[in-house]
Amino acid sequence: MPKKKAPNQNKAAKKRAGTVSRRDVLKVGAAAGAVGFFAPNMMTSNKALAFDGPTPPAEPVLCATNPTNSPPTTPFRDDFTAPFPAIPQILFPRPTRLRNTGGGEADRAAHQRWTEFLPDVEYELEARAGLHTFHSDFSPSYIWGFNGKYPAPTVLNVYEHPTIVRFRNSLPTTTTTFGRNEISIHLHNGHTPSESDGFAGDFFGTGFWKDNHYPNTYAGYDAFPPHGDQREAMHSFWFHDHRAAFTANNNYLGLNGMYLVYDDKDPGHEFPTPGSLRLPNYYGITDFPLILGDKKFCATANGRTEIFNTPGGGVPGGDKWIVNGKIQPKLTVRRRKYRFRILATGVAKTWDLTLIKPDGSVGTMVVVATDANFLEHPIPVDAGANAGNSNSTTAPIVPGGLRVSVAERYDVIIDFAQFPAGSKVYLKENAPQFVGVASPDLLPSGLAIENVLMQFNVVNTEWWFPADTPAIPSTLTTYPPLPATDNTFEWQFVRDPPTVTPRLFKINNQVFDAEVPSHCILKDTTEEWLLNNNVGGSAWVHPVHIHFEEFRTLKRFVNGVEVPVPPLMSGRKDVMRLEAGQGALIKMQFRDFVGRYLIHCHNMGHEDAFMMVRWDIVPDAAGLAACQALMAENRKQLKARLEDEEVAD
Amino acid sequence: MKRRELFKGVRPKFEPHMASPGVSRFTNALLRTQDNKEVRFYDDLIRGKQCVINFMYAECHGACPLVTANLLRAYRALKDRMGRDLFFYSITVKPNDDSPSALKHYAMTRKADVPGWYFLTGDSFDIETIRFRLFGMNHPGFDLDSAMHAGTLRIINDATNTWTAVEAFASQKAVLKHISWADPPKSYAERFAESMVRQDLIEKDMRKYGYRRDI
Repeated sequence: MPKKKAPNQNKAAKKRAGTVSRRDVLKVGAAAGAVGFFAPNMMTSNKALAFDGPTPPAEPVLCATNPTNSPPTTPFRDDFTAPFPAIPQILFPRPTRLRNTGGGEADRAAHQRWTEFLPDVEYELEARAGLHTFHSDFSPSYIWGFNGKYPAPTVLNVYEHPTIVRFRNSLPTTTTTFGRNEISIHLHNGHTPSESDGFAGDFFGTGFWKDNHYPNTYAGYDAFPPHGDQREAMHSFWFHDHRAAFTANNNYLGLNGMYLVYDDKDPGHEFPTPGSLRLPNYYGITDFPLILGDKKFCATANGRTEIFNTPGGGVPGGDKWIVNGKIQPKLTVRRRKYRFRILATGVAKTWDLTLIKPDGSVGTMVVVATDANFLEHPIPVDAGANAGNSNSTTAPIVPGGLRVSVAERYDVIIDFAQFPAGSKVYLKENAPQFVGVASPDLLPSGLAIENVLMQFNVVNTEWWFPADTPAIPSTLTTYPPLPATDNTFEWQFVRDPPTVTPRLFKINNQVFDAEVPSHCILKDTTEEWLLNNNVGGSAWVHPVHIHFEEFRTLKRFVNGVEVPVPPLMSGRKDVMRLEAGQGALIKMQFRDFVGRYLIHCHNMGHEDAFMMVRWDIVPDAAGLAACQALMAENRKQLKARLEDEEVAD
Repeated sequence: MKRRELFKGVRPKFEPHMASPGVSRFTNALLRTQDNKEVRFYDDLIRGKQCVINFMYAECHGACPLVTANLLRAYRALKDRMGRDLFFYSITVKPNDDSPSALKHYAMTRKADVPGWYFLTGDSFDIETIRFRLFGMNHPGFDLDSAMHAGTLRIINDATNTWTAVEAFASQKAVLKHISWADPPKSYAERFAESMVRQDLIEKDMRKYGYRRDI
């Protein structure tokens, strides 16, 4: 492509002024010229059409002060729906192994193993400003979303079909919000080559795009030909912005969405095909993402109900619980099994969810997957004997509650066949929100409207609705064997206790520096990592996330004493919740790709306050030496900085 | 006008961003510099400017001198911009102990008494308010902890309404990078040129180490 086709940075401003920009004119030309050759394909590529989206909304007029509470909302007014699926398309210009500089791609390393994972599905997701109505009692709110939507369109994919997602940055060049118009999109927790992993330092600004290459292969690709180890399968991923120091801000404004990958075990339908577990599996019909977030709103003079935020003010704690982009929605369910893929998008809130039956007692949610990985055996979470299945090492906060930290995913199955038609079932969050309007329905005894996350209205299954799936299999998968350990390492998560100045969130005494690794790992090795949050006085909760591959928990500790691994932590996971005094011994493998990856606290406030460090997978012994040399050099320089009072004297 | 006296030489226009919270957030407290000049916190120091702010006190023998030394390294690298469109402010957390002359002494002994870098003292209530407004995170664990500030440099550009921060002991490269995140917005052409420089470094890295080690 000629360089003059590079996206115009003033696009947003020009569009707002109601004029047709030079770029639009060029695009009309490009589309017209190309239609002769690519007519069928062009119709699927919205970028090739003359007008690539709605005019960006005017920047919000922010409330000056944090309101005491959000405006009131009527419960159960809006419907709970799954986000629309992203539409595959033919990208133009075509994806390339090397950076497409002339086409406007951001700087990046060449895609690893490109010819082995030639993409055969392509998407484009454009980060841009948009308007979203969080509740019908509200006016629209200004958000940043993929394709201008919150939640983002869900990417529905199939294993063994490598994918390119072209993330285009069309965020406004200047904003009144606390968002940062630079993005680096992480697929959590894809087995993704480093250059497509959304490394926090690899962000790119407005006007650029970047192709993230997702091989959609099972981990262990080299060791288990031809497709990798299917026991490593994960199904419920999510993607979100990972821009260093602004992750919380950009996610609060809406830059996140879900990405599901199907395979023969979890095929996206409920027919009795070979290998299928036959779980509820029709996206948006019997199988829903359940995306949780908390936000604060204020009605502003410009007629909108804006999401409250202040540059430099941190991310405010919300008083409205958002479920799939709506406040206290309702869902009509048939008397059959449903699957909900619960995801907490943060930025900091931990959820304690309970299913409340019409009589007010606690219902059963059967957990089938933790952080996108099937459990070997499903674990029912209810008020009875299984109340101890909390993923917290200490006693569960709520009997029968499912505790979901930021970025954790729990796939649960709820069987509504146990309820008669006409009954109303509720999903409860332990912490109250602000509602301000009485419940239109009589709630079960003991349930306050402030604690209701959403409502299920049970009806009989119509003849045309998919019939119920068989009972949940008692064995869902087999965990891959744990190979011998090549190396051990300890990560210490600390918020400096009051005796230490300065007070910082750190990992192994280090704060985030995109250019310095904190640990070097040779490709194709296995390590045991001790994750610890046990420094006295550092009493903070850290949901620790590790990129690249799933880990298995070998041991859990509370204040140095080994305790049993809670059932919900016994499977494969990528987020480890560490409360004060807790530790965990985990095992992880590093296979197939090389590059820079991250370990960080997924409380995005802590993450942006530098509680994130880089670790590298290196290709060979020379790379290992180079990586370790860089670490040593950095340690030397840090020591100099910390002892270097003389310099100023 | 006092502002005129303070900033001699080429003066860019200091226009705040339309969404800047202005005095309602920053306060317009009356402070004194190490040269005993009176300045208004918002009008004279923040309004339309890019600045790096830290808290310290003159008798501090722990972190403060190290932070000042690290800031001085950043100052030297950014010398051309200092006092023109970029400013450093070191505010004392012990205003009752630190007179302008004490701050002057602190700055001089550390070679930090330089143009574009102000050491500030004032009324203790005002300074506590400023600390709260700059480092407040809506979180009592942060906000009630006056030691919290010491390890963090607050970076603000009132002209773009950008706020960010960097750890005070970070490498010079990291400090400069974080300060640049609050720079005035760059044109697409400038950012494209920067991306070309990075691309060269990436490819050099890939050839040398087999992965992106340094960039």
